[in-house]
Amino acid sequence: MLEIRRLSLRHPAPLHDISLACAAGELTVILGPNGAGKSTLLHAIGGYYPAAAGEILLAGEHLADLDAGRLASCRALVEQHPARPAGMRVADLLCIGVAQPDPAILVQVLALSDCQTLLARDCASLSGGELQRVHLARALHQLLASKAPQRYLLLDEPTAALDIGAANQQLATLRQLAQRWQLGMIAVLHDVNLALRHADKVLLLKDGVQIAHGDTAQVMTQARLEQVYDTRLAELSDHHGQRAFIAC
Amino acid sequence: MSARTLLILLASLTGLAFFISLLAGEHAGARLAALLALPGHDALERELLLALRLPRVLSAAAAGALLATAGLAIQARFHNDLAEPGLIGISGGAALAAALALAASWPMLAVSVAAFGGALAALLLVSHLARGRATATLILAGVAVNALCGSLLTLLISTLPDGALRSVTFWLMGSFAGSDGRQAWLLAPLAVAVTVALQRQGRFLQALQLGDRAAFYSGFNVGRNGAVTIALAALAAGVVVSQCGMVGFVGLMAPHILRRLTGLHLPTLLKLAPLAGALLTLLADLAARELLYPAELPVGVITSLAGAPFFLYLLTRKRPSHA
Repeated sequence: MLEIRRLSLRHPAPLHDISLACAAGELTVILGPNGAGKSTLLHAIGGYYPAAAGEILLAGEHLADLDAGRLASCRALVEQHPARPAGMRVADLLCIGVAQPDPAILVQVLALSDCQTLLARDCASLSGGELQRVHLARALHQLLASKAPQRYLLLDEPTAALDIGAANQQLATLRQLAQRWQLGMIAVLHDVNLALRHADKVLLLKDGVQIAHGDTAQVMTQARLEQVYDTRLAELSDHHGQRAFIAC
Repeated sequence: MSARTLLILLASLTGLAFFISLLAGEHAGARLAALLALPGHDALERELLLALRLPRVLSAAAAGALLATAGLAIQARFHNDLAEPGLIGISGGAALAAALALAASWPMLAVSVAAFGGALAALLLVSHLARGRATATLILAGVAVNALCGSLLTLLISTLPDGALRSVTFWLMGSFAGSDGRQAWLLAPLAVAVTVALQRQGRFLQALQLGDRAAFYSGFNVGRNGAVTIALAALAAGVVVSQCGMVGFVGLMAPHILRRLTGLHLPTLLKLAPLAGALLTLLADLAARELLYPAELPVGVITSLAGAPFFLYLLTRKRPSHA
């Protein structure tokens, strides 16, 4: 279990009293308007920004007590704007952060992230979507090649470079991955409907303050989303009961 | 080109350049006979070869290896392909500190330690000034630090007597003419040690190509590994400056040529850079000796004549990979 207890941060953006828990095989989505502190929270969970107050427990251990190597064996993070190092082959990028590359795992990871045909390409030649997939594959390789008993994948807007269909497919794939490999996943998203459809749990954030956290269906109510996004919404649902929100 | 092919090619070329450099000039045949200790060889020639020419060639190769490895490490650490010890003020800081130590008549090893200190101070100052700013700031800060060190150096030199003035000026232009056994015994083991130590940072420097934050998420202590990298690069560049003066642009040219040939894979580049640097300085030293024979040019003039247009080419290239 990855537990965040009453976490507060002063820099680079203030966060106040955030608590959440993410279990293995679960997808938790952080939602909120621009500037709410979503990415800052994700990087704090990743251990990059030290907490001003509160604590983060990873499999019962304090995150602050783990060195960079131990941390990397049990959590990986895919950034919102991943690097595109010119001159570096995709095959070389996929092995960054992997102490002992595992060909068997790499083959599976490449298939899952649809990167098999990109191995010999220069990273500078990749499209936005391809780059996201390659960095996702790298992060999965890092996690799955480690022998840590609990592993967490943190994703900062993993669908930012994708069209509506590809974004939906990406989230479905991520959920499958979470369940198949028993990975805990925490993703920052902008699209409330993707969260509504795919997340197990949602954390709503506004101005660095936690508005709600819990099961997706219970947290994502029209009134709460209108409060968080300061806009009027209409709620729709199809004949399967799948809900969606549109701005009015 | 595959890394293995390039390694074999570079090792062969460097070996060949080393051999040619050892024998080149008048009496090459006599020198070869002396080298191989053939019957009837000139004993004095052999003595000169072992006491003067061999240390010089060894120093040139080691200095090139150190400069190229330092340049590659600095470029990787600062995500800036144009960073080079001479351009970002490291050599200037080292030269000033070494000149101060020389003026104070410190022994050779102490001069090298002072140069390392000067190089490290300049590098820390420049990286502090450039932190969080555009990558070009690193170069501009280096220009400013170089100008400051250059002015202080001129001030210092102007107080020296005529004889000392000439030797310090010649030293500053970069030369292996004064290399002796002591210098070779300092530079060669240092080149091996720095190369091995920096190769241990290869995986870290590779991760760093994704950015400092991504390197942390990949399992590296960026502060600690970065400090080790900077210290090793400053040690390499500082000691070379203290011993051989300013041999510019080797740390820029060697990594660039290698990146062009094999791509961006730091563990591989760190293996190849010492060979490429050694090859460049061996050829430059050979040119310095032979171009205006019997007169001799400072080797720094040759590397700058080749390196400055190379730098301009990189500046005007359509899209440098990091800058």
